[in-house]
Amino acid sequence: MRKALSRIVIITASAAAVIPFLWLAATSVKGAEELFVYPPTFIPRTFQWENYTGVWNAIPFGLYLVNSLTVALLSVVFNLLLSSLAGFALARYRFRYRGLLFGAVLFSMMVPKEMLVIPLFTSVLRLHLADSLLGVVLPFAVEGMGIFLMRQAFLALPRDVEEAAVMDGAAPLRLWWSVMLPMVRPSLAALAIFTFIGSWGDFLWPMVVLKSQEHYTVQVGLSMMLGTFVDNYRYVAAGSLLALLPVALLFILMQRHFERGLLSGSGK
Amino acid sequence: MKKNITPYLFAAPAFLVLGYFSILPMLQTAYYSTLEYSFFGPHRFIGAANYVRLFTDPHFWATLLNSLLFLSVTPVLMVVSLTLALSVRNLLRGARIVRLMLFLPVVTPVVIAGIVWRWIFTEETGLLNHLLSLASVGPVRWLTEFPTNLVSAMLVTVWRGMGYYMMLFLAGLALVPREVEEAGILDGATPLQQVWHVLLPLLRPTLLFVAVVSSSAAVKVFTEQYILIPGAPLDNKALVSFLYRHAFERFDFGYGSAAGMVLFGMTLLFSYTQVRLMDREQSS
Repeated sequence: MRKALSRIVIITASAAAVIPFLWLAATSVKGAEELFVYPPTFIPRTFQWENYTGVWNAIPFGLYLVNSLTVALLSVVFNLLLSSLAGFALARYRFRYRGLLFGAVLFSMMVPKEMLVIPLFTSVLRLHLADSLLGVVLPFAVEGMGIFLMRQAFLALPRDVEEAAVMDGAAPLRLWWSVMLPMVRPSLAALAIFTFIGSWGDFLWPMVVLKSQEHYTVQVGLSMMLGTFVDNYRYVAAGSLLALLPVALLFILMQRHFERGLLSGSGK
Repeated sequence: MKKNITPYLFAAPAFLVLGYFSILPMLQTAYYSTLEYSFFGPHRFIGAANYVRLFTDPHFWATLLNSLLFLSVTPVLMVVSLTLALSVRNLLRGARIVRLMLFLPVVTPVVIAGIVWRWIFTEETGLLNHLLSLASVGPVRWLTEFPTNLVSAMLVTVWRGMGYYMMLFLAGLALVPREVEEAGILDGATPLQQVWHVLLPLLRPTLLFVAVVSSSAAVKVFTEQYILIPGAPLDNKALVSFLYRHAFERFDFGYGSAAGMVLFGMTLLFSYTQVRLMDREQSS
């Protein structure tokens, strides 16, 4: 009885989770005349793979993907580097302003990103970074959560690790790079995945910063296509599927890292 | 130990960025909210005038109310994801693939989720109304009628969130000792009684964490509505849409910043609790 109930719950939820993706995939290969037929068809009558070349040629879609990839990879590099440097300092050194700095980390975690877009926009204008990919990346090159996670990772390491290295006469930077970083690899992997997925899917900030089409990230590009390609859902569907692929693949390949990392930042 | 500048050098790059792009803008928003500050003109101190205007603006109250209504995704998400976690955790086979399927919506960018669901919600020819019509329900005005179009955005949020919170509950459940549950079974407790009296009290930290994370995200809803109902009146949307309308469509930065301060106030209790929970967990 209990088992049967569990099974029903799981099947229903899995179907609800997956059907929208199947619907997206179906729409992406439908012909124009099949988009708004009623009743809607789940399995397309014809398979028009041209929709994919269509979206690729009609707008600079490849460029959107390259821009998103640039933004996401830069974000990953910056966040890993800056968070692990600061997290190391907060976890493994005692110094005068440590409490104050950690307080700033916690405070920044409480500030909603959405309220910062106005002053960030004026800052980015002042720095002449408006309408540039660097303008998208730089304000979130490090975030409180990342420093918090890396501090947590370094705190968990046993005390005597660096003592041995210091006795060997290792310089602090070398200690950090070749002794400490390898020991927190799981946390680095988790932070990298989160940053990539977050940055790939980010919308409000890139939309505020980016003005010209050749700088759009794929999310901004898709939302604009939605406005201009009203009659061409199938192109938008093909584009959405292409834009989903990188994060879906990353997640499927790294599921284990992802799940472990999820829990390290969850208060568990 | 002698005075050591090493930790400062390690911390400096991150804290320069954090200070300039997180802490300073927070203060700037507070300052801007006291200015008459249009993108196009010089700015001028006007005290609390933006707030007076805000509190007499019916659109502000409408969007604020919608942000509060959006909080109802929290209890829904808690029930759905806890039920899922309780069902999934005893799976012997296929647990990994089930988690994978339920988690795919979580990593899906909001824009793409919004696009797919907008088609599913399409009123005349959409999938959902078709399925409902088979049960002689509808057609439901998912996109064009308030408050139904608010519910549509909530459904997208629940769809994207259930896998995430399920994972948190699974982690919480993993910490419950087996003996505790077995004792409950021996006592002859029904499954529901067991969940209510035995598991829920033990899951309290997780329940609280899920509640505050989901709530602070709910108040900040924006992209779902931007994609799902672009043409709908502002009064059908939530507070961040109000901020966006004034700051980036009318370039009234002062007024937008005042709305931003209200947003900060609304999320503060949730995000403060979240950070407290994370910090306490870590130091224990």
